Amino acid sequence: MAAFGSFAILLGLVLCAYNLVTGVIALRQIAVHPERSAAPERLAESARRAGIGSFVALTAAAFALVYCAFTNDFSVSYILHHSNRALPWPYKFAALWSGQEGSLLLWAWLLAAYGFVLRVRHKVDVKLTAYASTILAGIQVFFTLLLVFAAPPFAMVQGAVPADGFGLNPLLQYPEMVIHPPMLYLGYVGFSVPFAFALGALMMRYPGEKWIHITRRWTMVTWLFLTCGIFLGAHWAYSVLGWGGYWGWDPVENASLMPWLTGTAFLHSVMMQEKRGMMKAWNVWLIFTTFMLSILGTLLTRSGLVSSVHAFAESSIGSWFWTFLVIVLSICLFTYLRQRDHLQSEHKIESLVSRESSFLFNNLVLLAACFTILWGTLFPIISEYIEGSKVTVGPPFYNRVAVPIGVFLLFLTGIGPVLAWRSTSFKSVRRNFVWPSIAGVATAIVLMAAGMRPWRDIGTLYSLITFSLAALVTTAIASEFWRGARVIQRHTGRNMLFSMVQLTRRNTRRYGGYLVHIGVVIVFIGLAGSAFNQSQEQEMGFHDSMTIGPYRLVCQSYTQDSNANYDSEYELLNVYKNGKFLLQMAPERRFYHASEQTETMVADHSTLQRDLYVVYEGRNPDTNQPIIKAFINPLVAWIWIGVLVMAFGTLLALVPNMSAEQAARTRKSAAGTQENIPLAAGVGE
Amino acid sequence: MILVACATLLIGILIYVFYPQRKAEEQTQKTRLEFLRERKDSIYENLRDLNFEYRAGKYPEEDYLAQRAGMENEAAQIVAEIEFLESNFHAA
Repeated sequence: MAAFGSFAILLGLVLCAYNLVTGVIALRQIAVHPERSAAPERLAESARRAGIGSFVALTAAAFALVYCAFTNDFSVSYILHHSNRALPWPYKFAALWSGQEGSLLLWAWLLAAYGFVLRVRHKVDVKLTAYASTILAGIQVFFTLLLVFAAPPFAMVQGAVPADGFGLNPLLQYPEMVIHPPMLYLGYVGFSVPFAFALGALMMRYPGEKWIHITRRWTMVTWLFLTCGIFLGAHWAYSVLGWGGYWGWDPVENASLMPWLTGTAFLHSVMMQEKRGMMKAWNVWLIFTTFMLSILGTLLTRSGLVSSVHAFAESSIGSWFWTFLVIVLSICLFTYLRQRDHLQSEHKIESLVSRESSFLFNNLVLLAACFTILWGTLFPIISEYIEGSKVTVGPPFYNRVAVPIGVFLLFLTGIGPVLAWRSTSFKSVRRNFVWPSIAGVATAIVLMAAGMRPWRDIGTLYSLITFSLAALVTTAIASEFWRGARVIQRHTGRNMLFSMVQLTRRNTRRYGGYLVHIGVVIVFIGLAGSAFNQSQEQEMGFHDSMTIGPYRLVCQSYTQDSNANYDSEYELLNVYKNGKFLLQMAPERRFYHASEQTETMVADHSTLQRDLYVVYEGRNPDTNQPIIKAFINPLVAWIWIGVLVMAFGTLLALVPNMSAEQAARTRKSAAGTQENIPLAAGVGE
Repeated sequence: MILVACATLLIGILIYVFYPQRKAEEQTQKTRLEFLRERKDSIYENLRDLNFEYRAGKYPEEDYLAQRAGMENEAAQIVAEIEFLESNFHAA
């Protein structure tokens, strides 16, 4: 099967190269000789089909690798190093992305899958898709070249084949790791598609903004995958690493956040181009940057260039990636310089108080955050290059910059939607901001009355501002729903809930987007809770107890266990709250036989108010007593709920709007009248 | 067995890629007229949004009228150019 896998990868490379070369020739012939014969179009068609064929070939290669994992084929070096006989089957499947070669195969396969959809749907705009397909083929060539020459997943073991594999890294043996990397990769890889369309549109001087319409859903789906991937990674870190937090500003975490920030900026600023034909050059560079940051993210995750708890590979593929990044940047720069006159804005920003300005501020703030994170992430590499020693930048640096930026972004989330396009008068500002401002100020007063003291430390101050802004933003968004629904209610006579559903169905993009903003608010509430974290560590033998926050933990027993995959030590703790028994927790520490590594299994009791997070730290070598570390992490559950709301909002925004005819039918049936209400012109159907 | 699988994959894909096409999709260049029609649709959509937001009580009347006038002017220019290009096209 390994030979079949290698052959499939090689075939994939040939097909991608054919797609690239014949695609370029065909596009060139069509551009130079518009009075052409049908020959270049036939050539372009065979290039497109080769692209589709590359998906089939790489699917066969991915299948071959998974097959090798399931059949314990340890003659394949990759399987030997990332699997073993006792490994449960879901992790055998996850072995596909547990190491460098496999994850690069996953990258190439996902890229081919995205390319497959793009090439099958080529009738949406044949010429533009031909450009995008050819650019995508260029990216595919790079990744398949890597698989053939730099990181072959089917390399064979030299000499005698061991009877069992070395096993999967224990940190990866966690249910979320089965879905977190594919999600993240779907996000990274997905930005290739809007990038290819943007570059293609610029190369062919595509008139108008239709390429944005074509790529809108691609970008949103990609953004959704990346969002879910990032937060699944955060949840994995929280559940497995056992340090009590979910985000440590680790280089690999940063690498995933950077394209997310620029991708978010692109999703917002692209609306200015669609609505008003503005910011064209800005948008093109935003998506170019997002794609390059995705490649950089893969480089950081896979090359071992920076040390990270999330990087599970070290290799020499860095030079390949840097070369590719330089080529991509050169092509982007060259195309931009040649075609920049095509990117002239049709309008200018007319007022500082307008929707356009709020988008611009939002973009600048997101880019400032991205640049800060990029600087901090690459600082060890830069310092090593200049001074010869690696200087690492820690969480305090990021927190000092990212927290105020985040708070300002939250503020913009609230004010953006209520500002008008072009310019907003003072009267309009007053009309739209009275209630949100009252909600924000009232929240601050109530929280201070309840005991929050923002002058004590900066963390509490930021938390108070975040909670107040959360109230302001929620009120602003709720008023948007309320006002829109009231118009529909006036015409249909139905209740408010029905009207809100109708409103959302008529402009899913806008109201789905508002739901995403609500999700962001909920996530910020969760993040603000970290200002009040507590922790405590102590030895806990039989019947010893520890009190933390409102909880009392009492040790019932501690013991050891063993199975084919690992040995474990754990402690049973009875948890009491206000003197009443609440639950039993069992923090655990495992020792994996195959890899000879240990892993922490955190016990977490999560409520909306707080998490009780308990870690088994090991035994004190002097007393042989278990050491338990407990954390109280307020509001953490809100982060995960917020992400679910963001995902729901994005999915809603992906649903096509209800058509004008459907809306009219619904209104008529609701009102029981044939009256032609002029609302059909509303809500942007 | 592996040889058969490799050959099947290779031959299947080669046939798919090089099978003669009766008619390949034509790659047409988008015209100025098509671009203007897209732009017109976009401005009309903006106008519909503005009307709805005004009905929802989001903007005072003077703001609404000023914005609407701006959009209508923009739409009028585009419609005029569309009509000019269409009349030229029919004349040709």
